[in-house]
Amino acid sequence: MNLAPILTIARKELTDSSRDRRALYGVLIGILIGPLLIGFMLYQIAGQEKAANEIRIPIVGREYAPILVNWLQQQPGVEIVAGPPDAEKSVRERDSEFVLVIEKDFSEKFRESRPAPVKMFSDSTRQSIRAKVRRLRALLGRFSAETGGMRLIARGVSPSIASALKMEDVEVSNAQQRAASIFNVIPMFLLLAAFSTGMQIATDSTAGERERGSLEPLLLNPVPRWQLVTGKWLAAAAVAFCGIVFTLLITSNVLSRLPLEDLGVRYHLGPSDILLLIAAIAPVALVAPALQVYLACFAKSFKEAQSYMGFLVLLVTIPGVLTSFFPLTNRPWLHPVPIAGQFAMSMDILGGKPPAAWAFVLAAVGCVALTAVFLSLATRLLTAEKIIFGR
Amino acid sequence: MIQVQNLRKTFGTVVAVDGVSFTAHDGIVTGLLGPNGAGKTTSLRMIYGLMKPEIGTIQIDGNDALADPLAAQTRLGVLPDQSGLYPRLTAREHIRYFGNLQGLTGAPLEQRMQSLIEILDLKNVADRRVGGFSHGERTKVALARALVHDPQNIILDEPTNGLDVLSTRAVREVIRHVKSENRCVVFSSHVMQEVSALCDRIVVIARGRVVAEGSADELIAQAGTATLEDAFVSLVGPQAAGEAA
Repeated sequence: MNLAPILTIARKELTDSSRDRRALYGVLIGILIGPLLIGFMLYQIAGQEKAANEIRIPIVGREYAPILVNWLQQQPGVEIVAGPPDAEKSVRERDSEFVLVIEKDFSEKFRESRPAPVKMFSDSTRQSIRAKVRRLRALLGRFSAETGGMRLIARGVSPSIASALKMEDVEVSNAQQRAASIFNVIPMFLLLAAFSTGMQIATDSTAGERERGSLEPLLLNPVPRWQLVTGKWLAAAAVAFCGIVFTLLITSNVLSRLPLEDLGVRYHLGPSDILLLIAAIAPVALVAPALQVYLACFAKSFKEAQSYMGFLVLLVTIPGVLTSFFPLTNRPWLHPVPIAGQFAMSMDILGGKPPAAWAFVLAAVGCVALTAVFLSLATRLLTAEKIIFGR
Repeated sequence: MIQVQNLRKTFGTVVAVDGVSFTAHDGIVTGLLGPNGAGKTTSLRMIYGLMKPEIGTIQIDGNDALADPLAAQTRLGVLPDQSGLYPRLTAREHIRYFGNLQGLTGAPLEQRMQSLIEILDLKNVADRRVGGFSHGERTKVALARALVHDPQNIILDEPTNGLDVLSTRAVREVIRHVKSENRCVVFSSHVMQEVSALCDRIVVIARGRVVAEGSADELIAQAGTATLEDAFVSLVGPQAAGEAA
């Protein structure tokens, strides 16, 4: 059998698409958005953690409570500055992140061993300052407990009497884990890259061909329809595969440049991780363009086809959303399920427990079979008079 | 040579083509003349294999086209009703793409391309992207890619529709050129002047049927009128003729 037409068609579609600025931007965005978002989020988390270790506390009325101010100043990474005249307004208008206000009667009440009033103004809708506020609140709590304890000792009472509970706060989510949960979005962005980079060719070479009226002349060449469909799919699949590889390489590069040590996270995507992830995700580069080619054959225009593609992108986010309800890691039965399987396998690889070789093969077989189904459905569509001539 | 017997095609309840038969011989230009919607394009689409007739037979150079449509397509060069191009490819790339799909490569293809570019006078624009081409230039490119494999039979569906005088002349030149090479040319049009200027035999189609067939003189004699135009009106009926330009 002569298979040369498949390559001829694939080459033509790649040439055509490489001259389409809109298509190139689409591919570029598809590749860059994942790594950049991941980098941005990790950078933010690292920045917040670091900021909480060195806080600057604006205090209004510091002269009323030298004992508290001195104690605070002795804590590591704390700097005291004069607070703004109107604390509430300053916080509301976001001139200050938070302000500590010491009331006039502080020293009097403190001397009389009654609760001495301090007010903290903060805005809990500001995600970025939560870590700092949490630190300040902990410092004040400690001062209160230490001073209270000393007062009890002075009266000959054991401070432990005042504590009915010994509460131990075990915070499960720390910065390290939040950072790790960001690594979990890497598989989702890899799937997105596969869908978004091959999309332009898949739609332009099918729905676009119909829209331009170039499908009829193309079908006049003595090339079997399945070869036409395969050629168009091959071009899209090649781009989708490159999309996955570049997304991974750029992500690895971004991770290596981030100050992840500040988070206590030691993580980088090494060459072996990258190869394993490519092996796990590559089958999506087969099935995604096949599905896109098939769906786009129904569309009469490029725009109509693109609206279908929007729904497909939603499909990709399903495994990502599912992981928040039940973890997709370590579930081998999921591996042969196209897309969900690739997602689950990548999670296992990122978690340091790569699946066995047979799992990779099984997962690929599922995708290859589905690819064949979509391509044969698309071939049947391109034989239908309604599709060829319907405009 | 293209032989068509008793073709029939319906779309829902509409009978588009109803028992069309004709033979287009080598070395002459056969014109399909008829008003819009008479069934010319549908008949041609069945001949070039993109529509399946419900009944009827089609033979291209003696081979059954319905049994092996791909083999028939290598013997056909078609300028279809829709002749869309790829705006981002050059004229030369269009011709080369279709040449490759027809199985041509290397030096023979390059030679064939060069001669088509000369015949169709595309030299000055051959390496430009067709996105900015005029309607006439686009038609020439479509014609060149349809002829790249040097087909024995050539089907042109309203090739001069909407073309300016110069481009129409160029298309006519090409038709005369391939006719002189003893090829079979089938040409459809609803413009009588086009048909009478180019065609040796005329097949008049109306309401999905062949209503008359012969040379211009034979049609005039058959209808008993003074001119081809009067013959056409009397053959297809005044109402249908009124829809023709």
